[in-house]
Amino acid sequence: MHMATSELRGSSLKLTRIESVSPDATVRHVDQLETETLDTFYAAVEGNRPITAAEMGLDAGDVIVGTEYYRVDLM
Amino acid sequence: MTHYVIIGDGISGSSAAETLREKAPDATITVITDEGEPLYNRILIKEHAKGKLPEAPISIHEEGWYEERDIELSLNTHVTSVDTDAKVVHTHDSGDLEYDKLLVATGGTPTQLPVDNSDADGIHHFWTFEDARGIREHAEQSDTGVIVGAGLLGIDFAAVCGAQGIEANYLMRGDRWWRYALSADGAEIMHGGMRDVGVEPVFDSGVDHFETDDDGHVTAAVDPNGDRYECDFAGVAIGLSFNTEFLRGAGLEEDNGIMVDEYMQTNVDDVYAAGDLTRFYDVLLGEQAQNGSWGSAKEQGRIAAVNMAADDEAEQFEWVSSYSITHFDFPFLSFGHPTLGDDHAERKYSDTEWRRIAFKDGKIVGGVLIGDLSPQTAFKQLMREQRVVADQKEVLLEQSVDLDELAPTQEQ
Repeated sequence: MHMATSELRGSSLKLTRIESVSPDATVRHVDQLETETLDTFYAAVEGNRPITAAEMGLDAGDVIVGTEYYRVDLM
Repeated sequence: MTHYVIIGDGISGSSAAETLREKAPDATITVITDEGEPLYNRILIKEHAKGKLPEAPISIHEEGWYEERDIELSLNTHVTSVDTDAKVVHTHDSGDLEYDKLLVATGGTPTQLPVDNSDADGIHHFWTFEDARGIREHAEQSDTGVIVGAGLLGIDFAAVCGAQGIEANYLMRGDRWWRYALSADGAEIMHGGMRDVGVEPVFDSGVDHFETDDDGHVTAAVDPNGDRYECDFAGVAIGLSFNTEFLRGAGLEEDNGIMVDEYMQTNVDDVYAAGDLTRFYDVLLGEQAQNGSWGSAKEQGRIAAVNMAADDEAEQFEWVSSYSITHFDFPFLSFGHPTLGDDHAERKYSDTEWRRIAFKDGKIVGGVLIGDLSPQTAFKQLMREQRVVADQKEVLLEQSVDLDELAPTQEQ
């Protein structure tokens, strides 16, 4: 799996790779995601298919900790 | 008015408190913890120790969260014993507490190596937020490290050393990391990840004793072969001892954990248990099992609370757990019970991709995915459906798993 792409776009949200986290951010580890959300997250990271905000079950600004840190940004 | 007492404010205890308040709006709920801070994110404390995440996002609940829900939170409170006949919890200096129903969710404490100087300064165990703060502070000042414990907890220390620029040796007793779940092919990918962050795996090793300087600070680990590894930082993660000492004499059945059924009930009336310390009846596995993952602990707390509030066997625990390692360039996911079962299948796809599936009675009971996690949803679905698929390993080992390619389910 390649996670070097810093910005990955779906149909309505993008995951932006970040290097640091602000103290007021809501941060979740991938192990806190439901199975389907986890699937969607990794698909978004790989850029395999369009992602909708509803699928992700996440809010804009949320930070997800996987092999990299990603911030969820609504498009 | 019913009084629910929860001992432990980790994710299972806190999840139970939240569920109880929803199910029993008028009940009295008390949460007792010997820690000095409310619920925090135990999965993320390793990120703090690595120096990548500030403290604030790791806290989950402020004390106000409990006040808003009219839940009594008792921090820094040490439970000394439980009288299950009188239904009373005794504490060290906060008095006695009567309960109608009790949930034990006290988790565990890292096991110390039974070797000389294992309590020296600079030797760390990793479980609480306070541990993580100490590890981060010391790691930032350290140059050389030793890691002990070739499992899912030990590898967090490898990641801390890597992220903090500590040149470290990872001393393992066997010939590979997590030898109970990984073959040589799978483990080699993990060893590569360790080396990439500056941590060297050392096999057929371990620790015979630690050496210290005149101030009692660790200076080296010596393995059973007599080889000496200098270090000013050491991380030990060889397992957990469950926090059940206060239950001595309470009549709860224990077997390396508190025995509970699929409703999180112990063998003692009105006493439930949830989280890491349970040996629960896994309805998917068909036997007692243990699991230390965040999601499992959260769900066990919820299930316990549902049944406590209903005063009945209202909902059973049925869960496929996940545990990820996110420290390296490639993802790693363990699901279910990858070390159990009576059959398995595995395949290596590339230098960073490997898969193992464990079966029991022909059904998937767990597995490990390295590099490519895309089959996880399909495998978890098959687990939940308890479908017999061990005779179709080739389909399951295809790079892209298509459940439509499986033969139709036969009548059993």
